[in-house]
Amino acid sequence: MNSNEIEYLECDVLVIGSGGTGSQAVQGAAEEGLKVIVISKDPMSSSDTKICEGVITVRESGDTTDTKEILSENIKLAGADLPDNKITAAFANDSKSAYDRLRNNGLRPSINKEKNTPKTLAIAMGGHNKSRSVGHKNSGIAFGHTNWDTIIKYKNVNYYEDCWFLEVVKKEFQKNNNKDIEVLGGLIYDAARGKILFIKAPSVIIASGGLSSLYFPKTDTMRGNTGDSYALGIQAGADLIDMEQIQFLPFCLASPPSYEGLLAGEPSTASFLGVLRDKNKKIILDSVYLRTRAECSEAIMRAVEDGRGSPNGGAFLDMTKNMSAPKSGKYFMKYLKSALPSAYNNARQALGKEAGKAEIPWEVRPSAHYSMGGIRVDEYTRVIHSTENLYEPKIIKGLFAAGQAMGGLFGANRLGSTSLTELAVFGYRAGKSAAKNANQSTKHNNYDIFHENYMKFKNIFNKKGKLKAYKLKLDLQKKCWDNIGPARTEKKLKIMLSFLNKIEKDLKSINVPNEMIWNQQFIDFIELKNMIITAKAVTTASLKRDKSVGGHVRLDKKTSSLFSKPYSTLIKINKNNSFGAYKLFRKKTSLKRIINYKISEKFRFMKAKILRSLPESISDSIIENKYKNILGTNKTIIKPGSIDGASGDKVNQI
Amino acid sequence: MQEKYLNIKLKLKRNKEFILIEYKYKKRSYDERPMALDVLLQAQEEKYDDLAFRYGCRARNCGVCTIDVNDRPKLACRARVKEGDILSAMATLPVIKDLVVKRDAITRQLKGYNNISHKNDLNKDADNSYHNLTACIECYACLDGCPIHAKNNIVDIQNNVAYKYGNPYSLLKIQRLLIDPLTPEIEKTQLIDKAKSLGLEIYRREYKNLKIKCGVGINLKGEVIKPLLDVAFGDEVEKENQ
Repeated sequence: MNSNEIEYLECDVLVIGSGGTGSQAVQGAAEEGLKVIVISKDPMSSSDTKICEGVITVRESGDTTDTKEILSENIKLAGADLPDNKITAAFANDSKSAYDRLRNNGLRPSINKEKNTPKTLAIAMGGHNKSRSVGHKNSGIAFGHTNWDTIIKYKNVNYYEDCWFLEVVKKEFQKNNNKDIEVLGGLIYDAARGKILFIKAPSVIIASGGLSSLYFPKTDTMRGNTGDSYALGIQAGADLIDMEQIQFLPFCLASPPSYEGLLAGEPSTASFLGVLRDKNKKIILDSVYLRTRAECSEAIMRAVEDGRGSPNGGAFLDMTKNMSAPKSGKYFMKYLKSALPSAYNNARQALGKEAGKAEIPWEVRPSAHYSMGGIRVDEYTRVIHSTENLYEPKIIKGLFAAGQAMGGLFGANRLGSTSLTELAVFGYRAGKSAAKNANQSTKHNNYDIFHENYMKFKNIFNKKGKLKAYKLKLDLQKKCWDNIGPARTEKKLKIMLSFLNKIEKDLKSINVPNEMIWNQQFIDFIELKNMIITAKAVTTASLKRDKSVGGHVRLDKKTSSLFSKPYSTLIKINKNNSFGAYKLFRKKTSLKRIINYKISEKFRFMKAKILRSLPESISDSIIENKYKNILGTNKTIIKPGSIDGASGDKVNQI
Repeated sequence: MQEKYLNIKLKLKRNKEFILIEYKYKKRSYDERPMALDVLLQAQEEKYDDLAFRYGCRARNCGVCTIDVNDRPKLACRARVKEGDILSAMATLPVIKDLVVKRDAITRQLKGYNNISHKNDLNKDADNSYHNLTACIECYACLDGCPIHAKNNIVDIQNNVAYKYGNPYSLLKIQRLLIDPLTPEIEKTQLIDKAKSLGLEIYRREYKNLKIKCGVGINLKGEVIKPLLDVAFGDEVEKENQ
């Protein structure tokens, strides 16, 4: 073996990913005085955190009656009882201190001088039962700076960008009928310097984000979301949970190509009179502003399936009635422009002036936004691999996962502004847990297992074949959209599984040149492999979910009844190397609360129906007053992906 | 009638040499005015599957897709191209392959610069001048035309070492910390020393002729360099003037 290409490194804590979660993990571990290495495939801190809307959940920030219990339950109910109680409790417990830590690192919100707290948004975010969402100037970019500053701050932290993490190196011990797994470090491809890094580390933290690039270009997230977290996790032996639960934002752009996938609006954008229409101008969904994102996506995708979709595979969001109303029209325009300014700008630039004035309907199509499922962890972010008994989990020693990589916090739905808190809380917890583990671990002396594991990657360089990894990636992305996108059926899921089996075999025939410095085909090969594994987990989990729930819409199944027993799906690799799917039953909320919720939901739809059925002269005045109320206070800001953006998503709030 | 194709030149680094190739971009509609990134994505799909370039959010937020369009730095995701345009890697950083440059030597020069203690009153408002600076997306367009950065040896891609000389981005990070209401006075001297060690004085000499442009429209001369020069050399300048 050419020894020049291998670089041997050692550290106490190895962090994969340099976004919000990674930087918080770095801080947690670096504060303990340990040697930390951060690996990032994209430039440092250029992550989903940097491009998000920059609104974060901070307990008690806008309401002194807020408590840990209320926040924890709020999350649990929004997730249709799928979240893990201990994880939601940890979220609620740390949310305030986690935010203060970000502020210490340089994040500067506006301050409410009277209360001496960070200013919360003018309108309590729909899904939250208390005012606790704090916005920031320059949105996610402000968080990007904070993350960057955090990583750069510590002298005991080293980082390597343009590095693709290939594999968690581990040791397995057979114990009775079960196996114990212990982490030894990681194998990394350093593309910039053309090297392979063997990094010995007793603790490895997976903080490498989500999977939305499975649907590229139908996504509003970063390119790098190729499911790396989940692929690394499951290959290391971890369980994955709720992988079918992917959040799609229904109203994203379908054209022109440069804007494809970007956010145009939320259900609330449709306002009181907005409707969805198919290509024949038939209304396919009314009261859009009260609907969940899943309902909107479902209506659009059903029309597409029936051949009634718009030219680019979506539908039309028609807000012309809002605009043309004599009295309330001008208020609507004000609302449209101010509610989601960046989304509105996307739409106006992409669709033109007339669309910007809502004089013509907008062509919209759902986009992948967030993976609510992920690696199964406990509340300390320790990664779990289950034994025969799913309810008696074992810890993989030395492996941790946090942020979008982890599952168990959101379940079937996500409250607005919670993902930034998720990364601050669990990123930091991961850093602390990893540090604790590193302090208790004995060092391993040699790199033998690294060399052994590297052989299979070494063979990929200089691999002759007829297929191109990049082309296969495009094929896969198209198939993912068609079959495991926002609307699924059993038939599609089965088609997907057989496609995945085929493309897995195709990996063998991919051509990769013999080149160490920035080998693009090798990079695409590695990402493609991660995408295949992740897509397989999503497909298998979807088949295990027998009803529509939360972000998961099955065209051929009924919506999950509120009376049914809630369960998470669980995917793990079986002894014969196949993906096994299981149900992990969760604790159910009391029936009394469910019925209370049902009644309030019916009432809201009834009110909307009455409003629509009134003569325009009367309804126009009522709507005018409603706008005055919304716009009269402070500036309205709705976070994309938040429940305020789709107040109908309260359905899951029981 | 308009052409169906756009001829775009790509200047790529392959095997330590730069080559110029022509790509015929197939317009998806006659009136399409594609972004540079659209051209790169199509070229990768249609012809060069090994084409190396960076991109991220496609919406001007992440700052990673900067390339040179006709020798001027632009964000590929929002730079419209026209017939005959030349796309190349940023000239101000070392090229790894094709259009990909090595960026981390800039990050590294600020390691440990923000060693601020953690016992502050957090509920202090930062004013607009602070938030104007956090609009920076770290696209490194500002390296173009910077006389300080020009002093760096930018050839090396093999070593992860920091550049000796600074640039508007590094100074922006320092200035942001300097005007952060939570930064204690005692730390500010160190920050100024850091700015000086990165070559701030060169700006003092070349301020008048300084032509730097921010990729997202931050007034770098007025809001970063001038205030830093004032704090760092204000007294001396006054003395000289007397």
